[in-house]
Amino acid sequence: MSTVTAEPAVRDWRQTLVERPAIALTGVLVVLYLVTATQAPGMLTLNGVRSTLLLACPLAVLAASQTLCMLTGGIDLSTVMTANFAAYVAANQSGRGPVVALGLALLVGAAVGTVNGIGVGVFKVNPLIMTLGMASVLLGVVTVGLVGDGFLSGSTRLLPVLRTVASGTLVGPVPNNMVVWALLAAALIFGLARTGLGRSIYAVGDNPVACRLAGVRIWQVLFAVYLMSALLAALAGLLFSGISGSVGPDQTNAYLLPSVAAAVIGGTSILGGVGGYTGTILGALILTVLNRLLLALDTTEAFRQILYGLIVLALAWVYVRVTGQRGSE
Amino acid sequence: MSNAPRAVAATPLPQPSSRANRFRRRQGWLVGVAVLLGILVFWRYSQIPAFGPFEIRGIVAGTMTLALLAMAQTVIVISGGIDLSVGAMMVLANCIAARLMLDQDLGPVVLIALGVVAVAMLLSGLIGLVAVVSGVPDIVVTLAASFILAGLALVVLEGPGGGTHPRFQELMVGGFDQPLPSLLWLAGVLLLVWVPFKRSRLGIATYAVGSDRAAAFLSGVRVGRTRVVAYVLAGFFSGMAGVVTTAFTGSGEPRASIGATATLTSVAAVVLGGVALMGGSGTLLGPVLAAFCLSLIPPLMLGLGWDPNYAEVARGVIIIVVVMIGGLVQVPRRSR
Amino acid sequence: MPAPLLQTTAVAKAFGPVVALRAVDLSVAPGEVHALLGANGAGKSTLVKILTGVLRNDGGTVAVGGEPVVLASPTESRAKGLAPVYQDPALIRDLTVEQNLRLTGVDPALVRRELAEMDLDGLDLDEQVRDIPLPFLRMLDLARALAFDPQLLLLDEITAALPPDLSERVFAITRRMKQRDRSVLFISHRLAEVREHCDMCTVLRDGRDVASFHPGEGGEAQIVAAMLGEASAAVRDVARERRAARARTGDAPRLVVRDLLIDRQDAGVSFEVQAGEVLGMAALEGQGQDRLFEILSGNVRAAGGEILVDGRPLRARHPYDAIRRGVVLVPSNRLMALLPQRPIRENIAVPLFNRISRWGPINMGRERRQVQEAVTRLSIDTRAAAQARHLSGGNQQKLTIGRWLAAGFRTLLLFDPTRGIDVGTKHQIYDLVRELADGGAAIVLFTSELREIALVCDRVAVLHNGAVVAEMPPTASESDLLTAAHGLEVTAV
Repeated sequence: MSTVTAEPAVRDWRQTLVERPAIALTGVLVVLYLVTATQAPGMLTLNGVRSTLLLACPLAVLAASQTLCMLTGGIDLSTVMTANFAAYVAANQSGRGPVVALGLALLVGAAVGTVNGIGVGVFKVNPLIMTLGMASVLLGVVTVGLVGDGFLSGSTRLLPVLRTVASGTLVGPVPNNMVVWALLAAALIFGLARTGLGRSIYAVGDNPVACRLAGVRIWQVLFAVYLMSALLAALAGLLFSGISGSVGPDQTNAYLLPSVAAAVIGGTSILGGVGGYTGTILGALILTVLNRLLLALDTTEAFRQILYGLIVLALAWVYVRVTGQRGSE
Repeated sequence: MSNAPRAVAATPLPQPSSRANRFRRRQGWLVGVAVLLGILVFWRYSQIPAFGPFEIRGIVAGTMTLALLAMAQTVIVISGGIDLSVGAMMVLANCIAARLMLDQDLGPVVLIALGVVAVAMLLSGLIGLVAVVSGVPDIVVTLAASFILAGLALVVLEGPGGGTHPRFQELMVGGFDQPLPSLLWLAGVLLLVWVPFKRSRLGIATYAVGSDRAAAFLSGVRVGRTRVVAYVLAGFFSGMAGVVTTAFTGSGEPRASIGATATLTSVAAVVLGGVALMGGSGTLLGPVLAAFCLSLIPPLMLGLGWDPNYAEVARGVIIIVVVMIGGLVQVPRRSR
Repeated sequence: MPAPLLQTTAVAKAFGPVVALRAVDLSVAPGEVHALLGANGAGKSTLVKILTGVLRNDGGTVAVGGEPVVLASPTESRAKGLAPVYQDPALIRDLTVEQNLRLTGVDPALVRRELAEMDLDGLDLDEQVRDIPLPFLRMLDLARALAFDPQLLLLDEITAALPPDLSERVFAITRRMKQRDRSVLFISHRLAEVREHCDMCTVLRDGRDVASFHPGEGGEAQIVAAMLGEASAAVRDVARERRAARARTGDAPRLVVRDLLIDRQDAGVSFEVQAGEVLGMAALEGQGQDRLFEILSGNVRAAGGEILVDGRPLRARHPYDAIRRGVVLVPSNRLMALLPQRPIRENIAVPLFNRISRWGPINMGRERRQVQEAVTRLSIDTRAAAQARHLSGGNQQKLTIGRWLAAGFRTLLLFDPTRGIDVGTKHQIYDLVRELADGGAAIVLFTSELREIALVCDRVAVLHNGAVVAEMPPTASESDLLTAAHGLEVTAV
C-alpha cells in the first residue's frame, strides 16, 4: 500500500475552482452581464432579464443534446435539422390539435434518435459522421417536403400553446419557457448524477472497454443517449418556433456550433467522461449574454462574428488553464 | 534459483504476413473507393450520349475545391485532430483573392494567388499553434476559428463581388472543354507536395503523432511542432481551394454557410476515403477519390430524372451506409 | 576511484501536493548491473522518467560521468548516453518497424545487427507494429536502444511477460554491457532475477533511497524488508496450512470446462474447479491463456467445446451473460478495467448498473455502504479519490478487484493480477484470494510468476498450445512446471 504521505492539501482558490467549475462560470456570467448592461442598460430591468432567459432557452436545450452526446465521447450534428423538421411538422399538423401535432413532432425526434442510436451504438459508426449523414438526409427531406405541394407545404400556423409556453411570461422576469427548461434541467442534472443510466453514460465515455468487461451493454447506453439527444432537439425546435413566431427550414441552424461551444465552455469534455449539464446551462447563458453584448456594440456583422469567435476561444482557453483539463493527455 | 531445463524451447518468431494480405489490409479500402468511382463515372457516361471533354472538365473542375478541402482535412485527421475551419479558410481565401485580383493583369494575379495561399498557410499555422499551446481540444479551437475566419471574409468582401483574370481562370480550371489543367493541378499537388512529405521524416512523424501521441513523444518527436506543421500544410490545401474557387466562379462569395457545408462535406470525404478519424493511418488519394464520388451523385440523380433535392438525401444515406459497412469490415482489424 | 557513470543527488519531484520523490541518491558505477527496487508508489517510474528526460526534477542534481547534466527531453537524455526500454514499447502501432526507426533517427542496419546478435534476425522490419506480438516488440525496442550504443541502459520491467528464452537473451546483453564497462539500470519486481543477475541494488521507499547493497548477500527477505519498512511481509506457505485444514467435499464442481477450443485447434482445454478451491494456471507466453480467460469471462466466443457453470451450460455472447452467472474477470491490464477520470466510488460501482433495470435512481446510502465495504476490505488508499488515474498501480489493481467484491460473484477469474505490483500489495492480494476461496468462491488464477502458485493455489493446471497438458499439486517444483509448460513430459522421480 502506498505510504507516500502528502502535505495536508491546501485548499487554495485554484483547487476549489477545479472541483467546482460552476463557481468560475457564474463569476464570468455575472461580469459579462454587468459589462453588457453598461452598453445596454435595458439588461438590468426585469424585462431585460426575461428576454435573456427567453433567448437562452432553446440554445440551452440544444446544448443539452450536445452535453449528453459529448459525455459519451460523441457529438450530434443533426440536432438543428431535427429541430427544424419537428417545428415544421408541428406547424403543419397544428390543425389537428396540440396533442397530435406535438406528438408527431416528438415522433420525428424519436425516429431520428433511433436511427442515430442504431448507427452509433450497433454499427459503431463514428458519431460525427453518423449525425452528419443524418443531417444531410434531414436537410434533403425537409427541402423535398417544402417544394411544390410536398408533405410539408401545408399550414404553417403555430400551435397557440407553443406561443404561450415559448414566449409567454410566468411572472416578472420569468418567461414561461423557463418552466420547461427548469424541469428539463432538474431531470438532466439529477439523471446524470444519481441514476444508473447517468453513471453508465459517464462510464462509457471514460472507458468503454472497462464498461464491457463490467457487463455494461454499451450499445444500449449509446442508443439511449442519441434518442434523448434527438428528442431534446425536437423540443428545442418547438420552443424556438414559439419564440420566433414562425417556422423556417433553417431556423435554428445558427445555433449548432454555439450549442457545442456552450457545452465545452461549461466544462464537458468533448472526449467524454467528464462534465455535466450545470456547466452547460451557464455556458448557454454566457453565450446568450455575449451575443447581446456584441449586438449592443455598434459594429458590423463581420466584427461581431470575429469577436464572438475570439471570445469563445478565450473562454475555452481560460477554462482549460484554470482546471488543468487539457484536451490531450 | 534457475532450475530451468538447459535447452529452453525457443519462442517461435512471428510469421511475416504475405504480400497479398498486406496489400489487402493496407490498400483494400482505397481499391474499393476507386472501383466505386469507376462505376459512378461509367454510369454517368452511359447517361450522356455525348460524354466528352466538356463533361469530364465539368466533373473535375467542379470537384477540385472539395478534393483540395478533403486533402486539407485528411492531413489534420492523420495527425490526430480535426479541423472545422477548412471551409471558412477557403471562403476567406476566395474573397481575398477575388477582391485583389479584380481588374489586374495576369502577372499580379498569379502573384496574388501565391500570396493568398501563403496567407492561408500562415493563418492555419496560427490556428494550429493556438490549439497546441492552449491545450483546448482542436475541435473547439477550429470551431471558434471558423467564426473568426467567416467574419474576416465579410470584412474583405461585404457581399458577392470581386473578379479575376480570364487567362488565370483558364490556367487553373481550363476552358469549358479542357479537363487537363484541373487534373494536372490535382495530380501535381498530390505527387509533388504530398508524396515527398509523406516519405519524409516529418511526414512519418505526423502519422506517429496521430497514431500514439505519447509514444511519439517518447520516440523523440517534437509533437507540438509536428501538429502545427500539419495545420500549415492543411492551410496550403484550403488556401489553394479558395484560389481555385475564385478561378472557377470568377468572383468571391463571403457566405458563411458555404464554408460550413464545405467543411462537413470534407469530413465525409475523409471518412469515405478510408482514413480513420482517430488518426495515424490513411492517405490523401482515398478522400480525393471519395470527393469525386460525392460530387457525381447530384448529376447522376438528375440524369435519372430524380428531383435534385433528393440528391442531398441520397448523399446522406450513402455516407451512412458506406460507413456502417466500413465499420463492420474494419472492426476485426481494429481489435487486433 | 572512477567517477560513477550515473549519479543522482537529492533528486526531488512533486506533482502538486503529491510528493513522488523526496531526495533520491543513486549511484551506478561503470560496468555495473544495478537493480532499482521498490513498492509501487515508491517513486521508481518517476525517477526513470526524470532520467530519460520525460519529466524535469524539481530539486537535486543528476550527473553523468561526473558532470552535472540537465535532461530536458528524451532526445537530450539519449544524447547523454541514457537509453530506455519501457514496459510499453515506445513504438507507434500504425507504422512499420522501419518507419519507427526512421522516426527516432536510428539506422535500421544497426538495429538489424543487434537483432542478429540476439538471434532474432528473422524479424521482418517491414511489418506494422500492431501485427507483432508484445515480447518481440520489447526485444525490438531493446535492439533499438542498443543501436544508440548507450552508456547506461535503463530496462523497465522488461522481463515481465517475456518467455524464458527471450529473458535469457536480455541477461546475455546485460552481461555484454558489463564486459564493455557499460552499465544497466534494471527495474524489476522479480527478486530471483535480481539476485542472480545484478551486482548492486537500490531500494526506494516513500520517495527516498533507503538501502543500497549487493543483492546476492542477504536474500529476498532483506530486499522485501527494505521495501516494506517495518511491516515486512513474510513469505508464508499458507496454502499448505489451508489444504490441511479444509476437507475436500464431494460436491459438484462450480465450473466445468470441457474441450474448449480457444482457436481452431485439435486439442481443447478441459478442467474443473470446485467451490472454495483455487485453481492455478501456468503457461509460457502465448499459449492461449489470454484468449482462454476472455472466453471464460464471456468477452469472446469459443470455437468449440462447452462451459458449465453450476452444472448448466454457459453460452456467453457478452461479459454480461457470464457476470449474471456469477463469473467475473479481473484483467491484468488495468487500462482495460479502470475509469480513469471517474472517482473511486464510480469505479467500484460500475457493474451495479449494467442492466436497464438498474438505470433508475440510485440508492445512494446503499451504494456508499457497498463501496465502503470493498474499500475497507482491500485497504484501498482513498486519498487521491477524485480521479482513479491518480492512484498508484497497486491501488488501481485493488480497485478492479474491489468492483467485484461490491457486486458479488461466485466464480472469480484472475488474470495475472499481481503483474507489476509491489510485494506488499501482492501479499495482500494473495491473502484476499485465500479468504475469498474460504468464503465459497471458485477461483481460477493465471499467473506468470510460477513461485506464486505454491502460495495461493490448491492445484495447478499447465497450459500449452491451447490445451491443459498437466495437472499438478502446488508443491510441484518450478522445474517440473516449466518442463510441462514447454509441452514436455515430466518424468516422475
